[in-house]
Amino acid sequence: MADKRKRHRVLPGFGLSMGYTLIYLSLIILIPIAVLFLKASTISLAEFWDTVTEARVVASYKLTIYTSFIAAFVNAIFGTLIAWVLVRYDFYGKRIIDALVDLPFALPTAVAGIALTTIYAPNGWIGQYFESIGIKVAYTPLGIMIALTFIGLPFVVRSVQPVLQDLDQQYEEAAATLGANPLQIFAKIIFPAIFPATLTGFALAFARALGEYGSVVFISGNMPMKTEIVPLLIITKLEQFNYAGAAAIAVVMLVFSFVLLFLINFWQWKTTKKYQVS
Amino acid sequence: MIVRDTTLHAKNVKTTFQPGLLTKWLLITVAIGFLGIFIVVPLIAVFSEALNKGVQLYFAALTEPDAVSAIKLTLITAAITIPVNTIFGVFAAWAIAKFEFKGKNILITLIDIPFAVSPVIAGLVFVLLFGSQGLFGPFLEANNIKIIFGIPGIILATIFVTFPFVVRELLPIMQEQGTEEEQAAITLGANGWQMFFRVTLPNIKWGLLYGVILCNARAMGEFGAVSVVSGHIRGLTNTIPLHVEILYNEYNFTAAFAVASLLAMLALLTLILKSFVEWKTKKH
Amino acid sequence: MGITIKDVSKAFGTFQAVKNVSLEIPTGDFVALLGPSGSGKTTLLRLIAGLEGLDSGGIYFDDIDNTYKSIKERNVGFVFQNYALFKHMTIFENIAFGLKVRPRKTRPSKNEITEKVNELLKLVQLDHLAKRYPSQLSGGQRQRIALARALAVEPEVLLLDEPFGALDAKVRQELRHWLREIHQKLNITTVFVTHDQEEALEMADTVVVMNFGEIEQIGSPEEVYQKPESAFVYSFLGRVNEFRDSEVASESDKISYIRPHEIVLRKILQGDSIVSEVSHIHVIGSTVRIELRRYDTNDLFEAEMSIDQYQKMGQVKKGDILYAEFKNIVVFDKNSENKLNHSGKSGIRNSLKSKLI
Repeated sequence: MADKRKRHRVLPGFGLSMGYTLIYLSLIILIPIAVLFLKASTISLAEFWDTVTEARVVASYKLTIYTSFIAAFVNAIFGTLIAWVLVRYDFYGKRIIDALVDLPFALPTAVAGIALTTIYAPNGWIGQYFESIGIKVAYTPLGIMIALTFIGLPFVVRSVQPVLQDLDQQYEEAAATLGANPLQIFAKIIFPAIFPATLTGFALAFARALGEYGSVVFISGNMPMKTEIVPLLIITKLEQFNYAGAAAIAVVMLVFSFVLLFLINFWQWKTTKKYQVS
Repeated sequence: MIVRDTTLHAKNVKTTFQPGLLTKWLLITVAIGFLGIFIVVPLIAVFSEALNKGVQLYFAALTEPDAVSAIKLTLITAAITIPVNTIFGVFAAWAIAKFEFKGKNILITLIDIPFAVSPVIAGLVFVLLFGSQGLFGPFLEANNIKIIFGIPGIILATIFVTFPFVVRELLPIMQEQGTEEEQAAITLGANGWQMFFRVTLPNIKWGLLYGVILCNARAMGEFGAVSVVSGHIRGLTNTIPLHVEILYNEYNFTAAFAVASLLAMLALLTLILKSFVEWKTKKH
Repeated sequence: MGITIKDVSKAFGTFQAVKNVSLEIPTGDFVALLGPSGSGKTTLLRLIAGLEGLDSGGIYFDDIDNTYKSIKERNVGFVFQNYALFKHMTIFENIAFGLKVRPRKTRPSKNEITEKVNELLKLVQLDHLAKRYPSQLSGGQRQRIALARALAVEPEVLLLDEPFGALDAKVRQELRHWLREIHQKLNITTVFVTHDQEEALEMADTVVVMNFGEIEQIGSPEEVYQKPESAFVYSFLGRVNEFRDSEVASESDKISYIRPHEIVLRKILQGDSIVSEVSHIHVIGSTVRIELRRYDTNDLFEAEMSIDQYQKMGQVKKGDILYAEFKNIVVFDKNSENKLNHSGKSGIRNSLKSKLI
């Protein structure tokens, strides 16, 4: 009932704030996005299809999706582990580590890009060891994955951390009094509780990685068919003044991202509903 | 490890999930190792590469005219973007958090769009609008207005990518606080602005600061979107990140890292401020 | 200032919170809106304050039509359920708020504000807390500050939403007396919402019992308790035994009620009594509640007596047989829930007798 009371609008400013919000949102976000779709529709369906199914474009879609997926997967595992360590253990310097997790949010992507490239170049701090066992990191898909792992890291940690913090230890205590061993407690009590958060973090990291440009462009080497990601291809089309082509590729990517985001929201809504105690 | 005890006094029984000491230190080591390789090493690399040819070269790279103009442009961009998005953030959060209306969830989703859009596409949409072949291109050209490959384009693209930051921080705080204090202010005779500045604003100030800090970090560091619209004209339309890119592509690594170290320091400052605000809000 | 509420209705979506409510509150009255949650009592209070807009009807303060006036224009003092004290202001600043936000023309001087706030702090007996923040106060203290803040603007009507809902029993008891005293001192028309019948009966001059958005009964505490006009009022005000379809009410569409203290228990048969078996005995301080099972219908019921009466009766234990005399049965029509008769035992004597013997 409490939320329904507001309908009378006792508080002032609804018209002003709502009007301002809608106008600003339309001008900055909605109209520009609409123009993107408009531009993509200026070419015929056949042309559109040819543009987005061209071998080089398909290769970049594949590369972007699979490197993003693997990076998000790595983050899901290590991010959950880091969240666990930060919530459940006490050790010296924990607060600094906790703060550093957010560095990929705060550090401009271009800086991350050149730093990672330098480290993983064949003669770089870490790259040289890979080189000695015959693995190239920079200028290969592996390098792209490393850059995408960097920028996606905070998503999983920050999704899992609050859930783990709120996890009532009484459930674990209850399981222990019922005779469960630590491994069983983890598998049957803790894991199911944090898994939705891990998955959310994974999806967010995945979505972010799909569109990432700055950190990848330096380390990828940008070889067509091999290490060329979708955002780079869009820029290439733009530089050739093929606006419609750029828009077409962008539309496919955008739709993919939106569907992904929609699925995350839908799934979150479903799981919260499922576990809600009314 | 579970210590079984015949007594039922909960305090004496270790019943929570507590793997052994070995597991604990193993997990901590893995976590720190992973963060070390992925976060600390790149950070050190920036400063080490920036300074490895000496302090003189470092400062030379920072005071060189193109670098100075890039720094200026970045500051201008942030100085415009942040107030604009902050005002929007406060308005939008006020409308969404304090009132009930149909389509609220849709509105929130729409505000989140920039999070789901690749920065490159964020730049692209403005090229399609204002570029020479864009929707308003002919009109702008006829009136000699330059948006794309100019400062307005850079600012627009930056506003786009930082659009949700402030509102996203404010929304949960305002929703949690409810409307009772504001209602009380109104029953005591306050008008709208008095209510906002005396009651609402003091309650959200830390969240607002938090949002502004994040918005600033992104505004100053944005690369992809700005790269598409800037045209990379040295000394004119280069922000700090774009300047870093040019230097790097010219194999002027020391200078590139020197300028990049500015951004890395900004990132560290952001993290410190962020932790401070988090600590402040936890205290309240 | 008197309040007149005329045919007021308010719906939230499909939920009709207040239905055609009319109510007359004379100047200086102390009124309790009493009802279960969802009965519309809080909505009615917020309608009076202007915190809610009404769908139809009118609200008048004396002769002034306030139906569409803003909250500000109504000059009411409102105390919120959770007090809604401004967290970032000291107690002093909280109380001074209403004076400080006045337009310059009508705003009192700094000294006057200080004087007024100190006066109010003395009234609520918390003058030593002026410099504290709300988070440093106990619940009872916050409640008093909320009241002082509402009084600072010199309202003509004071409205309180569940004023003691969030407090523990002891503090609640103290504050009840205190609020009554304040009301006597200031004699300002006061309306408060409560779901606690004891609170309403103990404090108010007039009790307005509400259910499902409608007023069930208006009257003095004594009236509503002694002469309930509906089954709802009867059962909501105090403990009650309910017999559905029982032999007490001879017709099956009637429900009969009796309060536990209106049942007399004896060890020997005397007058019209019902044979019952003791199933539980609870001694709660100075009163004793005995749970019994009727032999005839197997219904459980509860009787209440003072510990003196209990001791006079002599040893009673579980399983004992006692004779229960129902002194004041009230019968309501089951469907309309209207009261049919307020009989003593006479109306049911025959049917009872036949069952007992």
